[in-house]
This record gives sequence, structure tokens and C-alpha cells, in this order.
Amino acid sequence: MKDFYLIGNLPGWVIGLAVLGVVALLAQQFISLKRRLAIGPSTFLVLLRTCVYSVLIFFLFGPAIVENRVARLRPPLTVLIDTSESMAFPASPKPMPEGKPGKSRIDLVKEKLLDGKESLIHKLSRDYDLRLYRLGTSLEPISPDSVGQLKATDQGSRILELLQVAAKEAPPQSALLIFSDGITNGDKKTLDGSPALPIPVFAVDVGETEGFTDARIADLRAPEFAFRGREFKVDLTIQASGLKGKTIPVYFNRGKNLITSRTMNVDADPFEQKITLSFTPRDLGPHSFNVAIPNQPGEQITGNNQKEFKVDVQRDKIRVLTLSGSPAWNYRFLRMALKQDPLIELVSFVFLRTPTDSVDVPENQLSLIPFPIDDIFLEELKNFDVVVFDDFSHRAYFNPVYLDRVKEFVRDGGGLVMFGGSRAFDAGGYADSSLKEVLPVELDGKGSYQTQATLRPVLTASGKAHPVTRLLPDPKANEEAWNKMPPLTAFNRVRAARGETLLTAGDGTADNAPLLTVGRFGKGRTLALMSDEAWRWNFIAVGNRETPQNHLKLIRQAVRWLAQEPSFEQVQIRPIPLSRPGEKVAIKLRVLKDDFTPTAQASVQLRVMGPDGDPVIVSTTADSEEGEYTGDFTPTKDGSYRVEAEASLAGKSLGKDKTSFSVAFPYGETDDGRPRPELLKKIAETSHGAFFSIHDWNEKTFDQMKAKLESQAPSQIVERRQTRLWSTLWPFALVLVLLGVEWWMRRTWGLI
Amino acid sequence: MDRRNFICLLSRSLVTAALWPRLGQAADAKDKRPIQFTFAQVKYRGGDWNPHPLAVTPLMEELMLRTSVEAATARREVSLTDRDLFSYPFLYITGKYEFEPFSQDEIDVLRRFVSYGGFLLIDDALGQAGYGFDKAMRREMLRVLPGSEFKRLPSGHAALRSYYLMRRIGGVRMVNSFLEGINVGNSTPVIYCQNDLGGAWERDQLGKWTNPCTPGGEEQRRDAFHLGINLILYAMTENYKDDLIHVPFIRKRLTR
Repeated sequence: MKDFYLIGNLPGWVIGLAVLGVVALLAQQFISLKRRLAIGPSTFLVLLRTCVYSVLIFFLFGPAIVENRVARLRPPLTVLIDTSESMAFPASPKPMPEGKPGKSRIDLVKEKLLDGKESLIHKLSRDYDLRLYRLGTSLEPISPDSVGQLKATDQGSRILELLQVAAKEAPPQSALLIFSDGITNGDKKTLDGSPALPIPVFAVDVGETEGFTDARIADLRAPEFAFRGREFKVDLTIQASGLKGKTIPVYFNRGKNLITSRTMNVDADPFEQKITLSFTPRDLGPHSFNVAIPNQPGEQITGNNQKEFKVDVQRDKIRVLTLSGSPAWNYRFLRMALKQDPLIELVSFVFLRTPTDSVDVPENQLSLIPFPIDDIFLEELKNFDVVVFDDFSHRAYFNPVYLDRVKEFVRDGGGLVMFGGSRAFDAGGYADSSLKEVLPVELDGKGSYQTQATLRPVLTASGKAHPVTRLLPDPKANEEAWNKMPPLTAFNRVRAARGETLLTAGDGTADNAPLLTVGRFGKGRTLALMSDEAWRWNFIAVGNRETPQNHLKLIRQAVRWLAQEPSFEQVQIRPIPLSRPGEKVAIKLRVLKDDFTPTAQASVQLRVMGPDGDPVIVSTTADSEEGEYTGDFTPTKDGSYRVEAEASLAGKSLGKDKTSFSVAFPYGETDDGRPRPELLKKIAETSHGAFFSIHDWNEKTFDQMKAKLESQAPSQIVERRQTRLWSTLWPFALVLVLLGVEWWMRRTWGLI
Repeated sequence: MDRRNFICLLSRSLVTAALWPRLGQAADAKDKRPIQFTFAQVKYRGGDWNPHPLAVTPLMEELMLRTSVEAATARREVSLTDRDLFSYPFLYITGKYEFEPFSQDEIDVLRRFVSYGGFLLIDDALGQAGYGFDKAMRREMLRVLPGSEFKRLPSGHAALRSYYLMRRIGGVRMVNSFLEGINVGNSTPVIYCQNDLGGAWERDQLGKWTNPCTPGGEEQRRDAFHLGINLILYAMTENYKDDLIHVPFIRKRLTR
């Protein structure tokens, strides 16, 4: 629509003066022409000039054409569709007819957006400047055409964080429309402390809370490690919805073995109860536990009915039992070494009196206690890690049958030490006992205990690398330390070594007999030191102004090696960090030979057992000559994975190690599938948007949302276009024509 | 001396005299057995380091008779500068009179000895607090372990329970009814008795007690032997009798 306006802004008196001037000029022109022409032509010429002046005077008023144009705008709208895993849960708890599975939440959203003659997504695209995103752990732009292919696969939904991102990126006077079940598991779980959203959010809740049935382990707190023989506790929070009046059992299992169970009466809806379960582990190493609730009738989500966790059972202390045949300096300094070590708990029995010794006072004036043979060998032995026979012979004190228990103890993984003396090895009658095959030396009953010798410990090739005799990290310094060790004056000669000899007794002859040997029996380890004078390596060294630490270190390292401390293992799997399904996990391990030097030639068998228990053989490659091996494994699902490694060299086993690692999604998206309309409501309310349930979504609600948007951002604007006539060509042409006609007439009439 | 003691002493003297060479052989034979304990006595300059030269053998015989420890019956005489001093983690020092101060080297050696696991039994043969041996020994120990003072051992100390459950201590004379000691960490590597234990242990070559024990007589001597054995076992087992496993048994016996 075009309108004519005079928009000139010259004052009226200026225009008046101009008019007066023009009139005066025209009068003067008429008078002048009259003198030369007749009245008719003079009048005609003045009229022509009057027209020219009139046009010019007219333009002093600023004539202009104003055109108003009405333009319709498409307001910006950002639509977010929650595609986290929880959107795969059923949208409605009501069972479908004919037992068909109910629609998932994401399917319901797709149905609402795509169904109908003219789909909502089409309408939105038509009426709005649409930006469409899928929302999970991040925002991903999608096209309206791809809505039909959306799947609920995101491992988490960071709704509160991503709404802030979307609002920041959206143009002003736009709005957000979100389709979600309201489950959020990012860093922020509530709106508290969040900055207000600058644009309104229209939240469409997907999923029904009414009739929602679920039992879940909402929270589990278990220690990462526990001490063997000491009870540890697991704190659980159990939640249930739609199960009021029912009884729910909770099972606590180690692997597949039931430890204990608990039942809970669900007396509220929603229901929550905290319970504590406990277990006393007996075996060292990593163990997988799980807590499970059986699937309840009508339960929509069963994946959250159990939780797995791993507890690494460690020894709080290495428990050492020493049996000493009599008070002796070896015991004194052994005790000092063990007592000063905070990792070691010592229980010792020293036989202060033999059956042939007589006493001059009644028994009750002696501090002697009866040796609890049955308690020690039949009951308590399993609670020790290392047993030390320190110049001790069983013959005078108990039936050799008790030594069978010691043999079993070592076979089952215990450590056994025999120190020399007049009651040890052959001299102690062990050639005829069941320990004969356990000890790392060969006994034939002919070995002797010799005194008055001067024997220096000499490191063997194995001894140079073995963790028991490696007193200093530098091999040269270590050898020097052993060379400085004071000589021994007493020695048990045995027939031969059966295990690895770490030290020989150097007496200047070529026949260096074994002085310190180590070996294995069953799962256990053994050590034999063929002398009762190791204390001299401590106290004589002090007298020589050397350090006593070498003796203390030898004892402590021996105990740790015997107790199979992980750092003393030949096969060691490195700790495996928490991983995610689908991510490659590099399982690294280190392999050492019997002499504890690294080997890259070992045959390594690596097995990984997933949550289903199916073993997978993982091939390994040696990374370097430092005995490092790596095997790559990609877990497919979340849960606890157990890793077992065994290495051998030239057909001889070097040892085993086992560990476990957890694979989990970091968000716990499927832990609690209950929709959270309350969160969506609050988001809509605080942002001045609106909340809708997806079941109430129809044309009316669409229009409602549209109206609300309209009120905030009008969808049409009026464009005003103004054209000054002066700036067009025709006024100039008109003046030119009038002046041209005047010029031509003047020429015709002979005035020019 | 009553008739019974007299007959006993007489018969022992006769037997000793008759079997003397054999006893010598027996002692040799015993010395060839693995020796676990040697009683080492410190020689020093000045004063009288050896007031009871025959005190050790009776104690060692008693030690072997009553306990499983195999000991050398003869004592070993050592000076603090002997190269093999540290072969004998149990040291006994006694005397009556004030002696010359130890050299700085001797002080250093003794400090290392008691700090790293050795045991020193101090026995005052004079029994005069603040005089003679007592004065010199306290002076020297202040140099060995500066800042450490002798403290009275509690009645429940492991040294008084290491073999016999001792309610009282013995000696030739009862100067103190308690022992004193210097603690290093959880251990008491220096124990001091002012009751002249050596005098109570000593027998002459005929087997006769050299010194009468007053005022307790033979019972007091028996306590001296018991204390000697306890201190040796304490040196060899440290606080063994403080281990938890022993505590209820000992408590039960002491309350009877």
C-alpha cells in the first residue's frame, strides 16, 4: 500500500518568500515580453514559466511516496530429543494387549513427531526456524528427516548441562522444546545453583510414573580392598516403586555362591531402605561379589536389579609363626627384624626347657606355657602365612604326624623356613619326616651340623637377581654388600639343594655347599638357611661398623617372598583401570625368570572371563626385553571381568597371577528408569516455558505453545518504504520539457 | 649350717675331688657341643673388674640344668676394644671400686653394642650407692647413652618373667629390692643390679659357696640364680614374654 506525503522540512516563510520572488519574477517577465510580443504569445510564455516555477515550488514541500509492507517471520525454535538409553524403556507400565511389548519412550516421541497427515516435525519445520538436536551426553545436530532413525543409545543424559548449552547457542527470542523422560545423570542433578535459562523451555515428558514398577539397588558402597580374616561391610540402598505390600529378597553372592540373603517388606510407595551386609574373606586376591534382587512381577526394568563390585582381599599383616628349639641369638635378632617390620605380625614359641631339664620350683612359678600343639597345627596354621622352624626339632615335642599339616599348609600356599642348628635338617630328624619332600634341600639323614668353621656367604648367579638376596638395587653394590657380610661359624651340611641356591658357603675349598636355597612345593614356597648364625650378619656387622640393615632386609625380603607378596611374584599383571564397553583395554604384565631376571621369551597364556563367565584367550606380545607383555582385549558389555595370566619358559611354569577389572558406563543411565516429570516441570516453570505430557500432546497443545511463543516474539513485522519524488527522474523531465517548449516558442517567435 | 646341708656339702666335695679329671673331660666334651650362649665379662682399667672369678660356672651349670640353653661353662673375658666383642651379645660388668673412665672409643663401642641388640648386665659387688663401682658405672653410662637415666624396672618387666616368675630379686646383700635399667626403644638392653649377684653365684673350687647371702640366706641365693637365668633368657628372647600369647597364662599364675 502506497501513500503520498509531503515530507519537506523547509520553514513556511522560506517557501512564502520563494513564492513572492517567483510572482515578482513572472510579472517582470510578462512586462518584458509584452514589449516585444502580442499579448497572446506573452501570456503563453509566462504560463509556461509559471508551470516550471510551480513545479520547483512544489518540490520545496518534499513530496514523497511511502509504501508499508507487512513481512511474516519464522521464529527460531530449538528442539531437543532425548536419545539416552533410558528412553528405550517402556513408555507406559500398562501391559499391552496380546502380550506385545509396550512402545518405548523414544518410539513414542517418534510417533508424536512423525505421525499424522501433516507431521509435527513438518509443521515445526514450516513454521519455525528449526534447529534439531539429539540429546545424550552431548548435543548432536540432526535433520528432520533422520528423526525416524533415532535410537536410544546414548550412555547418559546431561539434560541440565546441555539445556544451558542449547540456550546459549539459540538466537534471542527463541525457545527450546525438549522431549525427554527427565532422567539426568550429568554433574548436575537438580536446578539448584544453575543459572536461569535465558529462553523459555517447553518440556514434553515421556513416560509414566503412575503404575511404574521397579525394584533396584540404588546405591552400593563397598570397600575397594579388605583384609583377610576381617569382616567388611557393604552398604546398600534399595528402592522400589509399585511394589507396596510385597516382600523383596536381596541376595549377596561371591561369584555364583550365595553368602547371605535378606528380605525386605515393602511398606511404602515409593519405598527406600538402607541395609548393611557383611562378609569375612578368607582368600587373598581380587574377588567379585554381587548383590541381586530377583525380577519382580510387572517390573519394567530388570537390569538395575543387581550390582557387581570387586574387593581386593589383602593381608593386613604377614603372619609369621616361629618355633625355636631354644633361646638363641638367632631368635633374638630374627625377632628384632620381624618385630620392627610393621607389615609383619609375629607369633613365636621358644622352647625354653627340654623334657630332660629339671626345675627347682613348682610349675606355677615358671612363666612357661604349654605349647598348644593341637591349636597350632590343627586349627591356627591356616591363619599364618609363613612358618619358621628355627633350630627346632619336632622329635622331643610332638608326633611327626603334625608335620603332615605343615606339608599341607605349604602345598596350599604357605611359606616354610628352616634355619639351621643342631636340631635342624638331618640333625633334627627331618630326613624321616614328611617335610623331607617339602624342603628345598635333599636330606638323607647323613648331613651334619658343623661348628668351628669359617664360612663366607657367596652369591650364586640366581642369588644375584633373586628378590630375597637382592639387598641393594645395584648388582655390583649388592655383591659387595654380601662380600662384606661377617663369616659364619656353624653350618648344616646337606646332601644337595633341590631348589634354587642363592648363597653357597664359601670356605675356601672348591666344594661350596648350599647355604641358602629357595624352592616351591605345591602353591607354597620354601626357604632353607643352613646355619643358625645369620644373626652374625647383623651384630658382628655392627661391631665392624657396618650396617645391620642387610640382615634385617634379608629377613624381611625372605618373609615377603615366602608370603607371596605381589611385588615378589614372577608373573605380575599390572593394575587395569576402569574401562567402558567397546573400548580397547591394554592388559599389561611382567614376567621374570626363576632367577628374577626379566624374560621376553616366555610363553604367556592370558585369559579374560567376562560377566557371563565365558573365557576369552587373549594373545600377548612381548613389548621389550624387560619382560613386559601386552594383550589387547575389548569388553563388549559392562560388568566385572576376571583376568588370569600364566607364564612358562621351556615348559617350566614361572607362575600365575590374577586380577579383575570393571567395565561400566560412567553415567549409570539405566540404573533408575523412573521418569522424572517433576524435573521437567521445574525447568519449564523457571524458564517461563510450559510443561506437557506426551500423552496430552495434540493440535491444541501445539497451538498453545505457538501462542505462547507468539506472545514473546511476534511473527510479523511492517516494513515502511519511503521514496522522495525529487530523487526520481520525472520531475526533472517535466521541468526540462516545459523549458524546452518555452525555448522552442521563443525561437519560433523570433525572440532568440 | 644344719646337719643335712653339711652332709650334702661333704659328699659333693668328695665326689668333686674324686672325679675332678673326669669332670674336666666332661667340660671339654660339653664345650664341643654347639654353644648357644657364652657369658662374656668385661675387663676394664682401674678398680677391680673381677671380684668373683668363680661366679660364672655355677650360673652356667644352673642355666643348662634348668633350661634348654647350651652354654659355655667358662666365661669369656673381653675388653671393650676386643675385635670379637660383638660375638658375645651378652656382656657382664661388675666390680667394687671406682675405675678409670672408658676411652672415647670404648664409649662408642658400648653405645653401638647396646643400641643394636646387645645386652649389658651391670652388677655392683660393693653395694654402696654413690661410691666406688656404682659411682663410676653411672658416670660411664651417662657417657654411653647421654640423656638416658637408669629407671627402676616395674615388677611386670619381661626380664622378671622370662623364665621364672620372680616376685623378688636376690644377691649377696639386699641393697635394692628392685632392678634398674635403661630403655632403648621397647627393650631394656642395660640392667643394673646393686645386690652383688656374682657374689651369690660364686663357689670355690670345692663347690662351697664363697659368700653368704644376707639376710635371706639360701633362698636369697636361689633368687640370685633365678635372676641370672632370667636375665640371660631376657637377653636372648627380648620381650618374648610380653607377647600376647603369654599374657593370660602368666596373669593366671601370678594370681594364684
